[in-house]
Amino acid sequence: MKRSIILTLALISILVFSSFAATLVMTAGAVGREYVVLQQQIKVFEAQNPGIKVVLMPMPNSSTDRYNLYVTYLSAGMPQPDILMLDVIWPPAFANFLVNLNPYFSKDDLNDFFQGAVNADTYNGKLVAAPWFIDAGLLYYRKDLLKKYGFEPPKTWAELIHEAQVISAKEGIKGFVWQGASYEGLTCDFMEYVHSYGGAILNEKGQVVSDSAMVKKSLQTMVDMIYKYKISPVGVTTYMEEGTRHIFQNGDAVFMRNWPYAWPLLNGKDSKVAGKVGVEPLPEGTGFANVRHSATLGGWQLGINKNSEHVKDAVKLIKFLLSPEQEAYKAIHAGQNPSRLSVYNNPAVIKANPFYKSLWSVFQNAEPRPKSPIYPQISRILFTNVNKALTKQLTVDQAVANITSQLKDLLGQ
Amino acid sequence: MRSRTTDPLHRTDPIYAAIFVIPTLAVIAFIAFWPLGQTFYNSLFKFALMYPQNKIFVGLSNYGRLLQDSRFLNDLWNTIRFSIWSVGLETLLGMFVALMLNRKFKLRGLVRAAVLIPWAIPTVVSSQMWRWMYNDNYGIVNNILLSLHIVKNPVVWLAFPSTSMPAIISVDIWKTTPFMILLILAGLQMIPGELYEAARIDGANAWQRFWSITFPLIRPTLGIALIFRTLDAMRVFDIVYVMTKGAANTETISVYNQWTLFTKGFIAPYFGYGSSMSVMIFLIISIFAFFYVKTMKIKLD
Repeated sequence: MKRSIILTLALISILVFSSFAATLVMTAGAVGREYVVLQQQIKVFEAQNPGIKVVLMPMPNSSTDRYNLYVTYLSAGMPQPDILMLDVIWPPAFANFLVNLNPYFSKDDLNDFFQGAVNADTYNGKLVAAPWFIDAGLLYYRKDLLKKYGFEPPKTWAELIHEAQVISAKEGIKGFVWQGASYEGLTCDFMEYVHSYGGAILNEKGQVVSDSAMVKKSLQTMVDMIYKYKISPVGVTTYMEEGTRHIFQNGDAVFMRNWPYAWPLLNGKDSKVAGKVGVEPLPEGTGFANVRHSATLGGWQLGINKNSEHVKDAVKLIKFLLSPEQEAYKAIHAGQNPSRLSVYNNPAVIKANPFYKSLWSVFQNAEPRPKSPIYPQISRILFTNVNKALTKQLTVDQAVANITSQLKDLLGQ
Repeated sequence: MRSRTTDPLHRTDPIYAAIFVIPTLAVIAFIAFWPLGQTFYNSLFKFALMYPQNKIFVGLSNYGRLLQDSRFLNDLWNTIRFSIWSVGLETLLGMFVALMLNRKFKLRGLVRAAVLIPWAIPTVVSSQMWRWMYNDNYGIVNNILLSLHIVKNPVVWLAFPSTSMPAIISVDIWKTTPFMILLILAGLQMIPGELYEAARIDGANAWQRFWSITFPLIRPTLGIALIFRTLDAMRVFDIVYVMTKGAANTETISVYNQWTLFTKGFIAPYFGYGSSMSVMIFLIISIFAFFYVKTMKIKLD
């Protein structure tokens, strides 16, 4: 309700402001604290650049919904929004509608960014967006409860299941919450299990290799967490990020898989678990070669609409938001990981987010999702079939067979 | 005829008539027929929204493919199930409540206004509200069921096909029954009271009075209400999109259509296919409307 009011006001102000010269319209997320923090940053920017006004357009929380909105804006050839906040998986799809940023970033400058994110933003040799913040899947756990029962943070899925079973039975709370609803987030979670067991969905040549024992074991592990070990409530099959955070922050779960944005919120004043939370890499699988701790690479990029009438001012704003000072401010206040490597040396940033240092390798080695203009279709095949297995509409074998045949069909293999 | 044309007050002047009617027709053509025609035109091609220059004419083959698309057929069945249950129950409940509200009692005006509240809330808002009410941890629905010992463990309403469709249908019933009440009540108020008096004198009981007087006289109103509701139900999008996004076998044809046009048809050559789906939805709804008009004997002129 509140968001729709903000959106309406934003649209009205766009109409009002667009009569003046340099008004930049920028889409923005509103998960956790990011929107409030961005508003503060924009105030600073406007004070430094008196000629430029910035209007923020809050976007829906679900990445899939944002994608649909962008399709509407861009295919209509509108000059606004000028600046688009893009999910790490979208640059190939929107490449034709975005300004090439190569001329605005020097080689040296680009080298300071996470290379995985820069690769994701480069399509057909053009830098169509610039990395704004990095995301990687993390395991949040209750330090106090693990200590109480004499456990170490789990290294494997089997350990996690065991610890969650023991603690949740004694404490009467849930064991492990994660994102199991039928949407993009489930693809991220699923890919982490697949990689952790050393499996893959597409190989380096883009061939479908999902029909493997590793993929089946991954899906079986997810299903068993709900029905066999009962450490995850059946409700995870309907949860997105915020649904899981509410449960964990309320002290109702031992473990949670989530992105870094949850950290400052979990330690905020209104949190029941402030100071009791630890962060570790997600567990690895067992029983296969190549098992590893895997985190899906997430994160958001800033791109400029090709039809924008204020490309120069838009570049100014992007450069401002990607400056080391502003990335540090964002990391401290919104918990969003800087996309610049040098910001991780800033002591204030590390003090606010101690796990940035201990989990440096997790962010550095976060694994990308397939890079393709038709990624949304690939992802849909994954998350609908996985969700069907999680809700027992399909068996694990049927779901994996469906994924394989539907992907082969889609990719013409 | 001749006397009419000579009388300046009653003269029918086809030119003036045309001048006054043309703006209306133009507006209707612009807002209704033009988009429909454009959609039909798009449905004859294979192209992606991103590359409108690469249009390949494929004739009616998109429609042929549609009828072999198992996802479309499955979603069509979901839509029909949704429509039959929601419209059926809304009509029965609406009739029942309207008959009660038609009697005279204290605070009738207030109750009548209060009944409309669910209908006045935007669907997206009420869907989101109900999604929270169905939540397995903090939702009030499970809270009540658990405290009354009707269920032992919280029910995850929106996860499974067996519960998610009924959950969505009940939200629609909660939301749109007021609309039915409103329309039926309007029909009831047009029935003259003398008819009931006469029937009473003739010794007709309440049941006979309902079937011989009330029902035949509100039938046209009911028919209009059914057309409105069925058309709405057949293209249901917002409730499903907000509550499940089509998971747990709740996807309706409009949700699938949205996905085909936006997510898929933006970059892959499926925009024409999505358009053919839109035209198909229009045709299916027209069939329903035609059926109602015929069976309810509604005069449209």
